[in-house]
Amino acid sequence: MLSTHKLVNILQAYIIRRLFFLFFVIFGVSLLVFTIQYSYGPDRRAMLYVDSPQQAKDIPELKKKYGLNDPYPVQYVRYLKEIAMGNFGYSIVAARPVWDAFLHYLPITIELNLFVVPLFIIIGIWLGKQAGIKRNTTYDHVTRILAIIGWSLPTFLFALILLMIFYGKFGLFEPAMLSANIEAFILDNPDKYIKYTGMYTIDGILNGEFGITWDAIKHLFLPVLTQVIVIVAILMRVMRSSMVEEISKDYVITAQAKGVDSKTIFNKHVKRNALIPVITIAGQLAALSMEGSIAVEMIFNRHGIGNWLAHAALKLDTSVIMFMCLFMAVIFVVTNLIIDLLYAYIDPRIRLT
Amino acid sequence: MIKNHPKIKELKFTLNRIFTNPSAIIGFSLLLFFIVVAIFAPQLAPPNTKSHNPYIVPHEGFSATPKQPSAEHLMGTTSGQYDIFYGVVWGTRTAFKVGLFVVSIAALIGVMLGVIAGFYGGLVDEIIMRFVDIVFSVPLLVLAMAIVVAFERDIKYVIIALIMVEWRNYVRVMRASILTLRDQDFIHAAKVMGVSDIKIMLRHIIPNGIYPVMVIAFMDIGSLVITASFLSFLGLGAPTGYADWGSMVAQARNYIVGPTGEMFKYWHTIIFPGGCIILFVLAWNLIGDALRDAFDPKMRRQ
Amino acid sequence: MKKIIETENLRTNFYTYEGVVKALNDVCITVNHGETFGLVGESGCGKSVTVRSMMRIIQSPGKVESGKVLLFLDENGEQEAVDLLQQSESYMQSCCGDQISMIFQEPNAALNPIMSIGEQVAESFLFHRKKSLSEASLERLNAQDCKVPFKGIFKNLYKKYHEDENAFVFKLLSHIPLLNRWDFLIRQEAFKRAVEIISKLGIPHAEDIAVQFPHNLSGGMKQRIVIAIALACSPMLLIADEATSNLDVTIQAQILELLKDLKKKHISSILLITHDLGVVAETCDRVGVMYAGSLCEVAESRELFGNPSHPYTKALLESVPKFHQEGALKTIEGNVPNLVTPPAGCRFHPRCKHRMDICDKEVPNLLEIGKNHSVACHLFGDK
Repeated sequence: MLSTHKLVNILQAYIIRRLFFLFFVIFGVSLLVFTIQYSYGPDRRAMLYVDSPQQAKDIPELKKKYGLNDPYPVQYVRYLKEIAMGNFGYSIVAARPVWDAFLHYLPITIELNLFVVPLFIIIGIWLGKQAGIKRNTTYDHVTRILAIIGWSLPTFLFALILLMIFYGKFGLFEPAMLSANIEAFILDNPDKYIKYTGMYTIDGILNGEFGITWDAIKHLFLPVLTQVIVIVAILMRVMRSSMVEEISKDYVITAQAKGVDSKTIFNKHVKRNALIPVITIAGQLAALSMEGSIAVEMIFNRHGIGNWLAHAALKLDTSVIMFMCLFMAVIFVVTNLIIDLLYAYIDPRIRLT
Repeated sequence: MIKNHPKIKELKFTLNRIFTNPSAIIGFSLLLFFIVVAIFAPQLAPPNTKSHNPYIVPHEGFSATPKQPSAEHLMGTTSGQYDIFYGVVWGTRTAFKVGLFVVSIAALIGVMLGVIAGFYGGLVDEIIMRFVDIVFSVPLLVLAMAIVVAFERDIKYVIIALIMVEWRNYVRVMRASILTLRDQDFIHAAKVMGVSDIKIMLRHIIPNGIYPVMVIAFMDIGSLVITASFLSFLGLGAPTGYADWGSMVAQARNYIVGPTGEMFKYWHTIIFPGGCIILFVLAWNLIGDALRDAFDPKMRRQ
Repeated sequence: MKKIIETENLRTNFYTYEGVVKALNDVCITVNHGETFGLVGESGCGKSVTVRSMMRIIQSPGKVESGKVLLFLDENGEQEAVDLLQQSESYMQSCCGDQISMIFQEPNAALNPIMSIGEQVAESFLFHRKKSLSEASLERLNAQDCKVPFKGIFKNLYKKYHEDENAFVFKLLSHIPLLNRWDFLIRQEAFKRAVEIISKLGIPHAEDIAVQFPHNLSGGMKQRIVIAIALACSPMLLIADEATSNLDVTIQAQILELLKDLKKKHISSILLITHDLGVVAETCDRVGVMYAGSLCEVAESRELFGNPSHPYTKALLESVPKFHQEGALKTIEGNVPNLVTPPAGCRFHPRCKHRMDICDKEVPNLLEIGKNHSVACHLFGDK
């Protein structure tokens, strides 16, 4: 048996190794996106070094000043230096430096995903577990069909249709982050409502204004619903096939012969084993739900990073696009790190090597 | 004798497995419908003149308000007076182009790289797989957006951008199935019998390892069509007026809510092109699901 | 000798894609109190299916179609037998692992890979020894030096659990996170007993082994753990399904010795399934021979080896290599039949040297031809 001390050492070594991998991936992605944007031509790239609207007018001088006609490697090294110093360029769409704009928009996306990720994991695993247990019954067939339809739904289209029905027909859930009067209240009372986190639901509670929280939750309903339904469909099927595979294993018979009741067999024996492959998929889906936020934020008019990226892409705001690629890579690597740690926690056969 | 050859028997079993699966039947009939529409597009919705690019949807006038379905415009018009029926019919061709081009070329690149990585191993493997790691760490949509921004607004650049991202999906799968196959007893047996490496690769490993790639490719066609139509919806793909379902949905975006009293007045602007996207993707996903059941060695006999 | 378990005309089918596999065809087996009964036959002849049908743990697509499984709990035979196939699910749960338990053939697969050894063994106690576990926990709580917070609440809970383990409050508690840990003392107690039973099986450092996971142990060790799980509640009938088939000969001998030993001390009867005739000769009192889902011959071990009567038994014994015999080993001609379309009448007739006209028409009944010796063959039909 491993002593706790030894375990901590292994964990440390592992995390350090993963951090190295993170740097490697960030380096690679920076090379990749730099190559992509290098192909845009010097004019567009000049935007990368602009940090105020005034400077945006002096692009020809900037080109000369920053040597945008220099050879590729020289420019890349320069770009790396800028990143290392924390300068990610200037966002035209947001009219402020990329990093500032990012910090401004990020909480809105996090707020959305704070609801989406736990919900889709819990619902997906539960539905998949039931479908696996009730294999080849009506329940299984119905959920299977619903799942296939669910993952055939493009998020942006589904969001539009939901908006058409709920907002168009019933006048519920308007596409905004807050109701107009609540927004006005926040603008009028800067002393009563202090931005702690930037998330309306949490700030509402922290400021004691539960009306704001409630209003924010109401406006989150449709976006969360859209994203959850599409992702749950995928996760559910993965969980189901994993359950079906585990149910046919011999240790289930051992447990039956032991006299364990079927509920305990499913929940304690089968489910935990079935979760092992599902964790990977769930983690990747969680990372991808950031991607799904682009469509949802656009259609429900939420000013998060997804919406920002969509607008930036239309306006050829290249520094935003490059920054978002780097950010997504960080999210991806960190999610994988969490998946690995969860793996090691749930499956004793896996050693972090 | 030929009838009882195990390979034929197995193939028969697989086909039987696929065509007794109701979801495959629905999927194939939907797909057949779309294929017929795509083939007979010039007959169903004849383009105006011979010289004119058939993928450009004809429009009469520039009024921003969509028109209701009528005898002249079977599915009505969008804002800008583009004929929805024409767009939907020719959009089928666009969807097939996007899905099939992207998946087949990406799969070809991915399988080749996967085979090289799995076959040679060592440094080559390391370089290819680390590169895949890097490309994998940025989501498909975001990376495709970054690439597509560099070009003009045209559907062919969407296809190129998607190919440049999509190939990564197949490298890992192909390499993994090669690595598992390489350690199996029948490969060792072939080696002991003196079969050359190239022959083992071509005759035993690739034919056996390609199934997972095929299943994933089928499943991916749907999601690629979704991504392409979303890019068009964003305004990064097909230009306005191009026969593409995604950009038609984009034109409908401001009309999802009708005037007071007639909330669903402009339903046709979104339901027809949107419904086509959903059904098209559904067809491929249903087939992919059935294929997975049929090819999964663990599930197929149950 | 009194019966402990008896099957009557047990019939089990598997509904597969290729067709209905008629795995068992009217199998009648009787095991007596205090004996070791061996069930032999080739792979795929339905030995495992028989015992799994008896315990009702056939997995889909299998189904027990008809027949009876009578369990005689009382050694004197005064009590009515219970037909296990007619009992409720919860009766089976209380019976399996307590009165009857089973050792599985593949120790690698039979253990849950992500549960510790101790937990897996302790599970038997948790399900069958609730009363004594709560009693022991209460005793621990009542002891002077016990330092458990909220002692009073726990005392009340355990007292209540001791009286009525199905009370609503426990169902409620088991659904609430954190509060579902209320029974931690019971779990500790069960774990303690698990360690005891593991060490009883001759495994050194049982405390260390109990916190390990299956992948840390060797095959023989895992087999011992599987045996420990089966023995946890000292069952009356232990079914050993090819318990030693996958092990090295030396470990096989150890395990068999262990079973013999255990039978003397803890359990009443053993039903041993094997395809190894040597094991049968060494350990069993009585033997049943199975072929293609039906029982051919039942006899006392000595009688069977000395005077095999069924043509299949004879052929089987002739195909065992012997030291004094030279030349090629005899085999049984033909193949095991496909059970989707089993041969009509006696299932052995296509391979039988003494085939008669009647053989492919009627299924032979099991007839007594001597003291404790029955054969299902038309050769003996007229006697």
